[in-house]
Parts: sequence; structure tokens; C-alpha cells
Amino acid sequence: MAASFLIFKGGKMASPRVATVMKQGKWTPWFYVLPALIIMTVFIVYPMINTVGLSFLNKDSSASAATTCVEGEACWGALENYRYALTNEINTSTPLTAWNTFWTSSYGNTIKWMVFMVAGTVIIGLVFAVLADKVKYEPLAKSIIFMPMAISFVGAGVIWKFMYNYGTSQVQIGVINAVITALGGKAIPFLSQPILNTFMLIIVGVWMWTGFCMTILSSAIKSIPEEVIEASRIDGATEWQVFMQIMVPIIAPTIVVVITTMVINTLKLFDIVYVMTGGNFGTDVIATRMYREMYSSYNTGRGTAIAVILIILIIPFIYMNIKRFIQQEAIR
Amino acid sequence: MKKARKITDGGPRTPLRTHILIIIILVIWLLPTIGLFVTSFRPIQRINTSGWWTVFSPDPEVKQADGSPAATLTLDNYIDSLMGYRGTKTYRAECASGSPGIGLTCTARDLLNPRGMGIAFVNTLLVTIPAVILPILIAAFAAYAFSWLDFKGRYFLFALLVGLQVVPLQMTLVPILKIYAQLGLAGTFWGVWLFHTGFGLPYAIYLLRNFMGGLPRDLFESAYLDGADHWTAFRRLVLPLTMPAIASLAIFQFLWVWNDLLVALVFLGGAKPVLTYQISNMVTSMGAGWHLLTAAAFISMLLPMIVFFALQRYFVRGMMAGAVKG
Amino acid sequence: MFKKSKFWAILSVVLVASMLLAACATPAPTAAPQPQPQPAPSDISCEGVTAGDQISMLYQWSGQEEERLNAILKPFVDACGVAIVPEASRDQALLDTKVQAGTPPDVVFWGSTQLKQYAEKLVAMDALGVDAANYADYWKAMGTIDGKLLGLPVKADIKSIVWYSPKAFTEAGYTVPTTWEELDALVEKMVADGKVPWSMGMESGDATGWTGTDFIEDIILVKQGPEYVDAVIAGTTPYNDPGVQEAYEIYGKWAKDEKYTIGGAAGTVSTNFNDAINKVFSTPPEAMMVKQSGFAAGQITTTYPTLVYGEDFDFFQVPGVKGLQGGADWGMAFSDKPAVKALFAYLASNKGGEEWAKVGFDLTPNKAGTTTYEDASLAKKAEMLAATTGFVADIGDAIPGFGVTEFRGVTDWVNGGDLAQILSTIAAAQAEGTK
Repeated sequence: MAASFLIFKGGKMASPRVATVMKQGKWTPWFYVLPALIIMTVFIVYPMINTVGLSFLNKDSSASAATTCVEGEACWGALENYRYALTNEINTSTPLTAWNTFWTSSYGNTIKWMVFMVAGTVIIGLVFAVLADKVKYEPLAKSIIFMPMAISFVGAGVIWKFMYNYGTSQVQIGVINAVITALGGKAIPFLSQPILNTFMLIIVGVWMWTGFCMTILSSAIKSIPEEVIEASRIDGATEWQVFMQIMVPIIAPTIVVVITTMVINTLKLFDIVYVMTGGNFGTDVIATRMYREMYSSYNTGRGTAIAVILIILIIPFIYMNIKRFIQQEAIR
Repeated sequence: MKKARKITDGGPRTPLRTHILIIIILVIWLLPTIGLFVTSFRPIQRINTSGWWTVFSPDPEVKQADGSPAATLTLDNYIDSLMGYRGTKTYRAECASGSPGIGLTCTARDLLNPRGMGIAFVNTLLVTIPAVILPILIAAFAAYAFSWLDFKGRYFLFALLVGLQVVPLQMTLVPILKIYAQLGLAGTFWGVWLFHTGFGLPYAIYLLRNFMGGLPRDLFESAYLDGADHWTAFRRLVLPLTMPAIASLAIFQFLWVWNDLLVALVFLGGAKPVLTYQISNMVTSMGAGWHLLTAAAFISMLLPMIVFFALQRYFVRGMMAGAVKG
Repeated sequence: MFKKSKFWAILSVVLVASMLLAACATPAPTAAPQPQPQPAPSDISCEGVTAGDQISMLYQWSGQEEERLNAILKPFVDACGVAIVPEASRDQALLDTKVQAGTPPDVVFWGSTQLKQYAEKLVAMDALGVDAANYADYWKAMGTIDGKLLGLPVKADIKSIVWYSPKAFTEAGYTVPTTWEELDALVEKMVADGKVPWSMGMESGDATGWTGTDFIEDIILVKQGPEYVDAVIAGTTPYNDPGVQEAYEIYGKWAKDEKYTIGGAAGTVSTNFNDAINKVFSTPPEAMMVKQSGFAAGQITTTYPTLVYGEDFDFFQVPGVKGLQGGADWGMAFSDKPAVKALFAYLASNKGGEEWAKVGFDLTPNKAGTTTYEDASLAKKAEMLAATTGFVADIGDAIPGFGVTEFRGVTDWVNGGDLAQILSTIAAAQAEGTK
């Protein structure tokens, strides 16, 4: 992929440090990696190259995207689908409208998801993994946090219907609005009120994915040697200091892994938005928009262009991971 | 493993506020699911007209077809979804009236009828087990190479791994299905296994490399001095020591495959229905029958939860005891 | 610390065992093939079909709908001994992937958009030897692309109807309106009486808004007539024409105001379309009327099983409507093998139409079914359909890739968007779809 190639060429990183401590035969590494490489090439790399090609073509891939340009309007030639994908949602008449429309576009929403969902899942997951580590009912407690992951999206959609439902009469079948009206307030249409609705959806995302972060972070915490922790306790460190100064630095590499994974998951996030609002009321994210262009508007060119943009967005995190990869090998 | 201990054993007693904090988080996390759980036992006539928390003070005005008050709690949602009942009443009511729908016999055989969850459960297991074991096995090898072997292009390939994770599934379906159609793999279990393997690999390698790469160098140096080669080190040292990571990976790959609908539909098809397929088809295109989803969600959740519990035994402190430099 | 040998042994046993099991698992078609075809009744032709022939099928119907389809196909399956290998999914990605990859199912039941979308790949009805004499001309016109009839409408529903409770109307002293002016006056009277006239909920996941566009198209039919709608579908009248705009304004006046509709704008966009039907028949009713297609009857009897059609719930045609709005699911073929030919021959035959109507899977466009409905409300709808002169399709169904923009447009409009801007966005999608 071009993206990783750029990083590979661009940085000081191109000097691989020999990581091995044991003698290895000339072909040994390839016995280990080749099966994986072959399968990934067939199933992801080859289809991807296909996709990138389609993104320069028109809706049914029968001619260049340049033929879809409308006379008298902006046109990027063969990159026309990219122009559409990047600018269509944004009203550029003034800088202010551009700014406002950006934050309700699929890109703005994806950024909101990235910031709040990744922060929410990683922080709650980490705190809970540490807390649960201290109690006897740890397996049960962890299972409860993990449970939403096991519920299929169809089930989750129904679950949150009973949380967010907006009743128009006195009868509320959604828990939150029932509480609000019981306290004398006015019911809130959580899913159709722009801005608020994206955050209500992010809550669903945090609820579902915290179990994932917790599980991985918990297995990292379990690998911290207890001598290290006990030693600092004997030195008089408080539990907070133990957490911040001992645990977090030791499991920092795993935290990077979890953050990267969650960023990828949020970039690809589709089901929650699709099931609960269908991308209406300004809740669109990149993946739901891609799906709609592909299968509701039957515009393969635009759909694939959005997919390519999605992949390009991951580059900063590729860079972050390579850096950490090299660091880890330097210190172990 | 019996020696595994908790931090608390030697440290200060767990303060009350820790318990309180844990329980608050647990309640928040459970509340939505409890709503679904209670709802799954309510008859359709009640679900829409009152909140699930009113379950103990039912409205007597809610009637069923014969004019008598509808039941407060019922098992019908579970029975209907297990049997794959698709009519307008309930499986029990229809059997009692003596005219069951097409393909139903009102005996235990219905559990295995092609629209019920019985066969789908078996199919889903057949899809899931190899689709979990294969990618993890292949990924473990690759991750070992990325961690402890030197080869040309490893940084480039590692960067690629991160990038590949973000490729949307939908983009790959058409080219792969074309290949499968030529090879005769469409509609076979092999087709689904290989696809899930392909899509699971980038993340699996990425995660395992993080854990394997974090193992201390001394470990390998001493192994080398003892005359071990890479194959021995991989099998005897690395695999056991990364068991917690492998276990969590197994859980997530299991969940992803278990809850997948699109891949199963495209590559396996309706002839070998999986659970998600049966569940999504309980609801009509106009949304009728969605109350069955409440029960179905719990039925399909059972096995993943059992797997999670079973793999908990790998998340214990002490596996790395003595293996990590201080 | 860890019993490696045991672990590997278990792992490989599990892996191998599951793979072997999978290899043995045989495909289980839902409708098992009859070993011997029964003596075929003279009205079902099985020409060229060998018992055990398979037809792969993909459709959007599931649950109760699939059950009804099976009942309709049963006489054919029994007579010819074919095995149907069905697949049900509403995921557009599935159909599109299969078609693009060159592995489409033999038969597809889907919306009319797909007729245009896959025009080059479909087998025309002529090539299948289908006699379409049982279908009204407007159906044939809808299914004809470039001079070829590419599909058979199988399941139809009419949209230009309003559901209400005769009991509630009688109690309040209301009568069913027969002209648009009467309807308008009735709505105002209800408001004056302190009642809410409409229940307009339009939430429907990714398709949120379709009840709104249905309503608007009916208003267009009242104010402008069927030729106007056909011109919008053809693209000759742009979607931001004053006629369309007027319909949006009339709809918006009701849909956004809590005097006219349950919950005002927020209620309209947040209430699920099925819940919106329920609200008219609850005790006490939250609103007096809901404009919804024929399927509403099923929703009413499921939620309120004691209600009786004709007394507790009934429907009337949108007053003053010229023509009738409706939609159909179409049968399309990607294969011309004998079993497929026999299936389409059955669907188009008198027997096929009668069976469809008897089972009561909405309406059949097949004329032979018109008089054989057993369900009273279906029979009444069938009469309306048979009597109509200007049948028009749902605009959103008729233009490929257009529906989704239209749905979002009406949702935005109710939720406070700017009408001129919304209509020009939709008009752009219309121009693109009709190019």
C-alpha cells in the first residue's frame, strides 16, 4: 500500500535494527510469515487494488469519473469522485458555513466518534480492569462489562430502543424519557435532535466496546510482575500513584495497541449508526455514507472513493505504531 | 497456575469505595440489558404499550385474541424464535388450534426444522470454530517472525498490517466472490473460513506481535544457550507465555464470526443458515415480529458468554512469573 | 505450568472434527424436493422440468411474509417437484455483490428499481415464454425497459389510503370525507374539538422518511394528478417544481405542528411508522387517522388482537385523489432454465393469481386473483386497485438511487430544514437518476 510505503521511505526508520538473538536460517522467517502474507494478499490487498481503480470511474464503472463532471461546476477530472466525497457535504459559501457544515458532515461526526468513543472506551476499560483486579468477583464483573460485545447489533438496536425511545403521549417506554417525565421534565427526542444524537450514539458505542478494551488491558495488567507493585507499595506509594507511575508506563505499549484498534474500529464504525438512525438527522459517519453511495445510490465510483479516503485517514496511526515498534525493540 | 495470586493478597485490603465504584459501573452497564431481558418475557401486546419496568403492575385492559387479558410474562418469544415460528399468532396457540404452519409438526422435531435455531446453531459452530482457530494459528507464526526474526521489509509489512485493518469489508466482496465462483468455493464452508481468516489476520498478527515483542530478550538468550532453535522457542516459550493475548484474540475473533451476517450470506448463502440469518429473518420487511428479537438475542448470546467465561482462566496473574525482568 | 501436548491434541481434534462435520453437512433446502412429481393438475405446467431441479431465490421477504410465499408456491413445488433454495435479506449489498460477481440467484423478488439497475442482465419475460395477459397495462408499462418486459409484478400494495376507527368517528360525530376540502375541514374540526387528527411517525432506520414521501406523493396526486407524477418520474418535471413544493408545504403544516400530529415535528421524525399505526387504535386513541399502506391491518391486529375489521378499524381512499399510488415487488429472472420458466408461468397463470389472493400476501397484480381474496380488507383494497385508472408508482422506487435522497429530504424538512434548498438537492438526485 502506498500509504505505508511513504512512511517507510520518509523517516529515519528505514534502518532496521536486527531484532534477532538467535541464529536464523536464510528462509526461516519466510516459513513463519508467508502463509499469512499470501492469504492477506488474496483477500485484502488484491481486492483493495481493485477498489482503488474503481474510484476513478463513474457510477457503474463504465467510463472515467471525469465524464460525470457537470459543466460550469468544479471538476477534478479523474479525481471527480474524490471531489464529490470531500466537498459535497460542506457548504463553502462562507468560512463560517463551511466550519458549521463540516462538523455535521460525516467527517466531522467521525472525528467526534474518534475522540469521544476512543477516550471513553479506553479510560473506562482501563480503570475497570484495574479496579476489578482487586476484587474476588472479578470474572463476574468483567463478564458484565463484556456482555454488550456478545449481543449482536440487531439485539443492541432493540436494547437501546428501550433506553432512548421518545414517547409522544404520557406513556414512555424508553427508560431515560420515563425518568425525565416522572421528574416533571419534557421528553427529549434523543435520536432526532442534531448534535445531541451523535453523542447518544457514541454512548451506545462506549457501552458496546468498553468490554473489548477492558479485556486486552486486563491481560496486560496481569502480566505486570507483582514484585514491582508490592515494592512501590512498601515505599509508601498511594494506589493512585501505583496506577499512574507504575502500571500505566508498563502497559503503555498495550495502551497504544488498544487505542489504534479502537481508532480503526471507529473509522469503520457502521452498524450502530445504520441500525439506530440510518445516518439521518446529521448522524452520518464515513462508513454509513460509503454504504449509502454504494448500495442505495448505486454509485460504485463515489462509494469506493470514500473507502479510499477512509484508508488514507489511518496513516498517522501507522506512523505512531511504527515508531513504537522500533522503540519496543530498542529497549527490550 | 494454582499459585496465581491477586495483587490484594499481599497489598492493602480493598477499600469499600472500590467496591462501590465497581458496582455503580456494573449497574449502568447492566441496565439496558435488563430492559431487554424483561421485555423478552413479555407478550407483544404489552411491549408497545407500557415500559418494561411496569411488568409487576400490568394493565388489565391489554387483551389477547380471545378477549381475555394478555399474560404478564410468557415464554412464547423464546419458543417462537427457537422453533422458527413465522406466523401471525404464536407457536403454542397455533399448535393448540391444530393447524400448524408449513413444515411444523408440533413435536420436538420442530427444533430441527430448517428455519429454527437448532440447525442454525450447528451451522454457526461449524463456521466459527475453524474461522477462529485458523487465523490465530497462522497469525501466531507471523507474529513470531515480526517479533524475533529479522527479514527484509519487516517495517514495511508491519505498516501494511495496520493499514489493512481499516479496509472496509464491502470493498472486497465482489472480487473475492468472483474468484470463489471460478474455484467452486462459493456456498462452501471453506469459502467462509478462508475469508474470515483473511480478514482476521491483520489484527491478529498486530495484536500478537505486541505481546510477543514485549517478551524479554534474556528469555531467548538463555533458551539459545540451552540449545533451543526458533521452532522450540516458539512452541515452548512464546505460545504459552502469550496465552492471555491469544485467549482474548480468540474471544474477539469468535464474537466477530459468531455475530457476522454479511459474510455468511454472501459466501455461504441461505442454504446453510447461520444464527444471525435466522434471527434477522424473524422480522418482516415491514418490521412485524421484532419482539422475537428480544428472545433471540439472548439465545444467540449464550455461547459467546460461555466462551468468555471459559477463557477467563487464561487471564490470571503469574503466567509470566519469573519470566519478566524486573 | 501448561500441558502443551494436551493443548495441541485438543486443538487439532476440535479443528479437524468441525471441518469434517462441515464437509458432511449437506445443504438443506427449505422446501424439500418431492421424490416423484405428483400427477400435475392441468393448470400447472411443468414442461421440461425434472423432479429435483433447483431454483435459487433471493427476496426481501422474511418472517410471516416468507411463510406466505411458501404457501403460495406450495402447489407449484408439489406439482413439479422442484426444490427452492431460498435466501432472504434486505441488505442491498448482498444482491448487488452477487450480481456484480456474476453469481446472481436464478430468481429475485425485489423492488422495481432493480429492473432498471440490472436491465442488461435480466432475462426478459418474453424469453421465458410468459403470457402477461393477466396484468393491467400500467403494470406492463412499469416493467418495460427499452421495449422489453423484464419482470412480473407479484406483490402489490396500495398507498393512497387512510386508516381510522369507525367507532371513534361515530362517537365524535365525524363522517368519512370524500373530497380534499372535506378532509381539510374535518382536520380543522378535530383540532377545534381538541383532538389530534394525524399520527405521522416516519422513523424507519436507514429508510426513515418514506411515510412522509408517500403522503406527499398522495397530496401531489390530489392537487396535480397522475400525469404530473409520471412527469416527475420521467424527469421532465423537476422535483423543485411549484407543484411539489405546494405538497411539501401542506404536508409540513400538519407534520410539524403538535395540534395536527402527535408530538409535532419531533414526534413525526422520532416515532416508528409501526408505532404510529398503533397510536390511532390505542385506548384512548392518541390520534384519529393514519395514512399508511395496506400492511397496516396486520400491525393493528397483532398489537390489538380483539379489534375487528370494519368496526374498530377500517380505511378510506385519500379523499379527492386522482389515480392511486402503489408499489409492487417484482419477480425477475437471471436464468432461463426450465424450472424458472415453469415458476414464472405459474405466477402469471390464473391458478397462481388465485393462490396468491387466497393466501393473502398483500395484493396480487394478477387479475385472476381479484375475486378470490378471503380477507375482507384485502378484498376492499383489491377493488380499489382494480377500479383505478391512473395508477402511479412511488417516485422513490421508480428512479434508481433516488429514494434515499428523497427520504432524507422530507426528514430534514420536518426537522426544520430549508425547503428550497432541500428540494433542489432532491431535484439534483432526480436529474442524475433520470439521465
